[in-house]
Amino acid sequence: MKIEENNNFRQLAERLIDYGRAQGADEIEITFYDGREFDVEVRFGRIENLVEASSRYCFIRIFKDRRAASASSSDLNLPALRTLIRKTIKRASLSQPDEFAGLPASAPFKIAVDSLKLYDPEVTRMSSREKIKLALETERIALQDKRISNSFGASFVTNELKTVLVNSRGFSGEYLQTYCNLSLGLQAGQGDRLVEDYWFSSKRHLRELDSPEEVARKAVERTVRQLNPKKIKTSKVPVIFEPTMTSWLLAFLFTCVSGTAVYQQTTFLASRLGEKIGNDNISVIDDGLLPGKLGSRPFDSEGVPTQRTVVLEKGILKNFLCNTYAARKLNLPPTGNGNGHGVVPNNFYLEAGQFTPEQIIKSTREGFLLTRVIGHGLNPVTGDISRGASGLWIKDGEIAFPVSEVTIAGNLGRILQEVDLVGNDLQFENSICGPTIRVAEMTVAGI
Amino acid sequence: MSKFILFPRQKGLEGKNEFHGSIKMSGIKPREFPLSLSELKKTLQLALARGGDFADIFLEYRTSLSILMEEGIVKESAESLSSGLGLRVIRKDITGYAYTNDFSPEKLKSVALSASAICASSGASRKLPGRFRHHLPRGDITRFRMQAASRPLEEKLELVRRAYSAAMNFDPSIKKVQVAYGESRQDIWVVNSEGLSVMDSRPAVRLVVMAVAEKDGRRESGFCGGGGRVGLEYFRREMTPEFIGEEAAREACLLLEAVEAPAGEMTVVLGPGHSGVLIHEAVGHLLEADFVRKKTSILWNKLGKLVGSEQLSVYDDPTIPGFLGSYNFDDEGQKPVKTALIEKGVVTGFLQDWLSSRLMKKEPTGHGRRQDYTCWPLPRMSNTYIDRGEYDPEEIIRSVRKGLYVSRLSGGQVEDSGEFTFSVTLGYLIENGRLGRPVKQATLIGHNLDILKKIEMVG
Repeated sequence: MKIEENNNFRQLAERLIDYGRAQGADEIEITFYDGREFDVEVRFGRIENLVEASSRYCFIRIFKDRRAASASSSDLNLPALRTLIRKTIKRASLSQPDEFAGLPASAPFKIAVDSLKLYDPEVTRMSSREKIKLALETERIALQDKRISNSFGASFVTNELKTVLVNSRGFSGEYLQTYCNLSLGLQAGQGDRLVEDYWFSSKRHLRELDSPEEVARKAVERTVRQLNPKKIKTSKVPVIFEPTMTSWLLAFLFTCVSGTAVYQQTTFLASRLGEKIGNDNISVIDDGLLPGKLGSRPFDSEGVPTQRTVVLEKGILKNFLCNTYAARKLNLPPTGNGNGHGVVPNNFYLEAGQFTPEQIIKSTREGFLLTRVIGHGLNPVTGDISRGASGLWIKDGEIAFPVSEVTIAGNLGRILQEVDLVGNDLQFENSICGPTIRVAEMTVAGI
Repeated sequence: MSKFILFPRQKGLEGKNEFHGSIKMSGIKPREFPLSLSELKKTLQLALARGGDFADIFLEYRTSLSILMEEGIVKESAESLSSGLGLRVIRKDITGYAYTNDFSPEKLKSVALSASAICASSGASRKLPGRFRHHLPRGDITRFRMQAASRPLEEKLELVRRAYSAAMNFDPSIKKVQVAYGESRQDIWVVNSEGLSVMDSRPAVRLVVMAVAEKDGRRESGFCGGGGRVGLEYFRREMTPEFIGEEAAREACLLLEAVEAPAGEMTVVLGPGHSGVLIHEAVGHLLEADFVRKKTSILWNKLGKLVGSEQLSVYDDPTIPGFLGSYNFDDEGQKPVKTALIEKGVVTGFLQDWLSSRLMKKEPTGHGRRQDYTCWPLPRMSNTYIDRGEYDPEEIIRSVRKGLYVSRLSGGQVEDSGEFTFSVTLGYLIENGRLGRPVKQATLIGHNLDILKKIEMVG
């Protein structure tokens, strides 16, 4: 299932750019995506679903007299794409001029694409049979545990994607990437008192993926530890975030430091550049150049080279993350975080600290270890957080009992000031990630 | 409480019972799919050659347009064209699926082989029926005279500008407004190995406004949106751009005055429309038949049992004209029916797709849905609502000594085990039977079996 090398996307892109210029576009950008997907889901030892697929897309951006318009198409025939370009130029003329609109100034990327290690031929070489076996094995191991009462199934997914980007300012680049993900969802408990959780491992390289044993063990442990939860009285206590929980907190921080939110004034951090908004424990980096990591790529969706950007250094807000448009609006440098119309993280992470997660729990006399959240109560305009949660109650440095049906409430600005312990367990299982952290005090609302 | 926006009925659009590779309905220009029925039949036959019980092909052609206005200018417009097909093979309860957006004969062949790989045994090849029944919608759930896709861009820009100035001029504290217009049209053609061939066309329009208000260093945002399976005349009759803009601005201003929600357990009154969100999370997802037959849903064994208050009846109806969730045929080509999920507190039915209804030996309800051609169908909700009760809304509020009135919810989530949350963006305190101060950002959490029993009054 290798992507054919003879797909001459670059040549097609160049022809389309010439055509667009001839039709009156000032600037034009053409992107092709060509992807392959394999997905198997097994449940109770049998295949339930199996997907094999491929798809291709073309994205077009056009600027004429500082007016912008874009289009996308799954039909890659030259006549169809030419028609779309003509229509897009016409649409551009109906929007209003915007002095900040336009392609990025051309800047050659200095790194060799291969050094980023985004592509693993093993992922594409692996047979369907081996992929299915991996999923079956993971579930089989978990179901040996008698405490598990039901399974949502295990799945193994592989993706292969080719990206080709050419623009009228002379940028021309392409790269191949792979991705694989092994995951398992479980349920435990009897009657109407059920609990559920899942675990996964996702990587670009097959050999780095956690083993079926490891994924199964984590999924079982995370599920059964929630059995027989208690309700608690509303209180203000230290809250420990597991790495997956730190991830969503950081995803929320990302929204608040994205250049788009800053120029739109939809973030509480809009006017705080250069200020100390967190304590010394908080250093946050966005890095598109970490070899083999999920968020790495040589250039962003506009052809801007990716880089390492310090967002927060010991609590001081150093940089916002900008695509070309936001950068021009804010008179800041673009950071290689462009994505279509918006801004995305590359590898956006909180730097690890020195404590093991066990030490963090041990040092907490009474507190709440947050393991799961549901719901979406995040407001970037104010930084307010309010989410449904479950977790484990900590008493005298030990896990005492599981807790369900609580809400946690707080404010991102205050949390950044109150993170008093940072763990050493930073893993790059996501493009946004962080280690275990402890927040000195949050409201945990129960009965 | 439940609220309906009912759209004036138009004359039913007659479907013709003859076959073409295109959709013909009055008001909509026919759309050609680049394949013929005989090519699809050939592909289905190949897909069944390894012993599958059932196969279907879902073809989709989707076009969409979006316009964005902020900072006083129309900044961007984007158009997208997406077409592709997904082929599914079922053997017992196993699904094999493959999709592509390349319609070449070689690709059709490889899609059929990939999807049938789950069979991999040499079962007898099932024969396709000689004649295919071809269906077009009879009557139509879409309600429009001015189909958005056929109107000039200028008209849409005008709607966007009007909504923008309405929000901006609402109050001096409004600092920022963003308006998004979106329209789409999805044409589908489903052909299956039982001899069914069905086409549907689903247009949709939406106008959404976000406004940010600022006062004394405090900043809040408000939202409002309108639209559905309707034409542009909707913005003249049902909801004007001015109304949408002002509502978004009004909410942002109200939130400037809002206090934090009190923590703890309390009585909650849900405003009209929002009780639907509660039921979507607390009941709807758990009555989707795939979760039921896998027994991961806490309601799997509750059919015929009393799970809620006798005040409570819940329906899902994909045939309400003009609603965004409505369709003439589902994504498996089945005719949808209004389905009773809970009547007087008793679970009466589940939302079924083809596979679940067959495995559970129930009638299909026409709820097989997919996001697009890259997904196989799953039984999912369309328009879920709580039926009218017997109380006057004001009576309900008067009966509460201390509680929370929910004015706007921004969404929720449920786990199969029944724990759910939903996020309140605007609410009011209820004190001694009266609405008090507005309340901002709060999360409600509960367990569905508890909540359903605790529903006391339905408006």
